[in-house]
Amino acid sequence: MTGCRVPPVLARWAIILAVLGLWEAGTRLSSVSSLLIVPPSLILWNVARIAVEAGAVPDFYANALVTIGEIAVAYALAALIGALIGIAVAGSRIIGDAFEPILLVLYAIPKIIFYPVIVLMIGTGYPAKVIFGILVAIFVIIFNTTAGLRQVDANYVRLARSLGYGRTKIFFKVELPAAAQTILAGLRLGFGYTIIGVLTGELLVVNAGFGYLIDWASVNYHTAELYALIAITLVLGVLANSLVSRVERLWVK
Amino acid sequence: MNGNMAAIEVTGVSKTYHDQATGRVVRTLDNVSIAAKHNDFLVLLGPSGCGKSTLLNIIAGLVSYDADGGTVMVEGKPVTGPNPKRMAYMFQDPVLYPWRTVLKNVEFGLEAQGIAKEERRERGLKYLRMVGLEEFAHAYPRQLSGGMAQRVAICRSLALETDIILMDEPFAALDEQSRILLGDELVAIWRQVQRTIVFVTHSLTEAVYLGERIAVFSARPGRIKAEFANPLPRPRAIGAPDFNRLVEALWNQLKQESIAAAGRTRPAQQDMLLPNE
Repeated sequence: MTGCRVPPVLARWAIILAVLGLWEAGTRLSSVSSLLIVPPSLILWNVARIAVEAGAVPDFYANALVTIGEIAVAYALAALIGALIGIAVAGSRIIGDAFEPILLVLYAIPKIIFYPVIVLMIGTGYPAKVIFGILVAIFVIIFNTTAGLRQVDANYVRLARSLGYGRTKIFFKVELPAAAQTILAGLRLGFGYTIIGVLTGELLVVNAGFGYLIDWASVNYHTAELYALIAITLVLGVLANSLVSRVERLWVK
Repeated sequence: MNGNMAAIEVTGVSKTYHDQATGRVVRTLDNVSIAAKHNDFLVLLGPSGCGKSTLLNIIAGLVSYDADGGTVMVEGKPVTGPNPKRMAYMFQDPVLYPWRTVLKNVEFGLEAQGIAKEERRERGLKYLRMVGLEEFAHAYPRQLSGGMAQRVAICRSLALETDIILMDEPFAALDEQSRILLGDELVAIWRQVQRTIVFVTHSLTEAVYLGERIAVFSARPGRIKAEFANPLPRPRAIGAPDFNRLVEALWNQLKQESIAAAGRTRPAQQDMLLPNE
C-alpha cells in the first residue's frame, strides 16, 4: 500500500492557499509598510474596486482595451508573418541558406535594444508597441514553423508524390498536418512572447495600457492598486493562454 | 502493339548519379532489361545496394534514368512520372499518416484522383475487409501493430485498382511470422484480383515463397544475372526439398554478389561460413 495519495491539483491549490495565508498573516501582523506590500485580501478588494469604481485608477477599461487590442493585433501579425517566413525558410533552400543565420543572430539579441529606434522612427503610440510585440514574438514562431516542416518524414512526401499529388496539395494535405504540432507549439509560445513584448513596450513608453496603469500606480505609491493591476494582468494572461491552447487542441485532435 | 503486350518492359536501362559527398560518379544500374507480363508475380532479388529498389523507383516514375537509349514502358507507354492510375507503389515502411484514420489513409490515393466520397469509402472498406481490418477502419495508425499497419498499406495500394503493384521490400521490417502470414495474404489477394506484382526483396526464402519469376541482381552496378521461373505449386512449403533446391540455385547465383556487396571481405574465409555449393 502506498497510503493515501494527494491529487496534484489539490496539492497545487494547497500550496497557493498556504502562500496566500502566510502572506496575509505576515503583512497584517508585522510592521512592514503598506507602501511596499499589502495583504492579498486588500489586493482582492482593490481588484473589485478597479473593476466597478470609475476613477479607482485612471480610465481602467479604456486602458485595458488598448493593451488587449495591441496584443491581439501584434499576435495576429506575428503569427501570420512568422508562419509565412517559416514556410519560406523551410521550403526554399536559397531563402533558408541566405536568411537563417541572420534570423538566428536577431533571435539571440535582446530585442529591447531596438526599442529606442522603433520609438525614434514611429513615435510612442500604439504602433510602436505592436511592432515591438511582433519583434519579440516572431522568432519563436518562425523557427518552430521551419523546424516542424523540416522534420516531416520524407516518406510522407514520397508516398503522396507516388499517388499523384502535386506540390501545393502535398503542402496542405501532408506537410502542414504533419508539422502542425510543432507549428502550433510555436504559436502558443509566441503568444506569451507577444504579451511580454507589448507590456514591456507600455512600461517603457508610459502613455496608455496596462503598462501605463501599473507605472501610474507605482510612481504615485498606490501600492494596493499596483498589486491589483498586476493580479488582473496575470489572470488575463493566464485566461488568454488557455484560450490559445484550446484553439490549438481544436486543430490537433 | 498487340494484346499480349507486356505489362512492364524495361529495355537497356542504366542509372548513374553524381555523388555530391564524394564527388564521384556512381553507377547503380547497368544496362538492365526485364519484362513482366500481365498477372505476373516478378521478384527482384539481390544483395543490398545492388540497385533493385532503384529499378523499382524507375519503373514507378519516381526516379529518372540515364538518357542513353534505355526505355521503360508500362502497358505500352513510356514512363514519364508517377502514374497512380496504372501503378501502385508500396514502401518498406507502411507510411501511414498519423492524423488520418485507417480508412482515410486507405482512401488517400483515391482522393488524389478526385473519386467521389461514397465510392472512396466503399472501395476502402472493401479492401480492409479483404485483409480482415474492417473493424479498425476508424482507428488511428498508432493503435495498429506493425503487421496490421503494413496490411493497411497493402489496402491503400489495392484500392487504387491498378493493374500493376510495385512493392519495395514491403515486409522487411516485420518479424518472420508476420512476414509469412502477410505473404500468404498477398498471394491470396493476388490470385483473387489478378494484378501484376513486382516485388523487391533480399530474402531468398521470400523470393521462392512468393515469386512466379525471380530475377537475380548482381552487386553494384546492378545487372540482371539470371532469371528463374518458379513452377512450385501453391501453397508452397518452406523447407520442402524442391523449395530448397530452388533456394540453393538462387543462392549459387547470389553468393559471389553478396560477398562483393559486403565489401569484398576475403572470399576464402567467407567460403567456410557459407553452405556447400
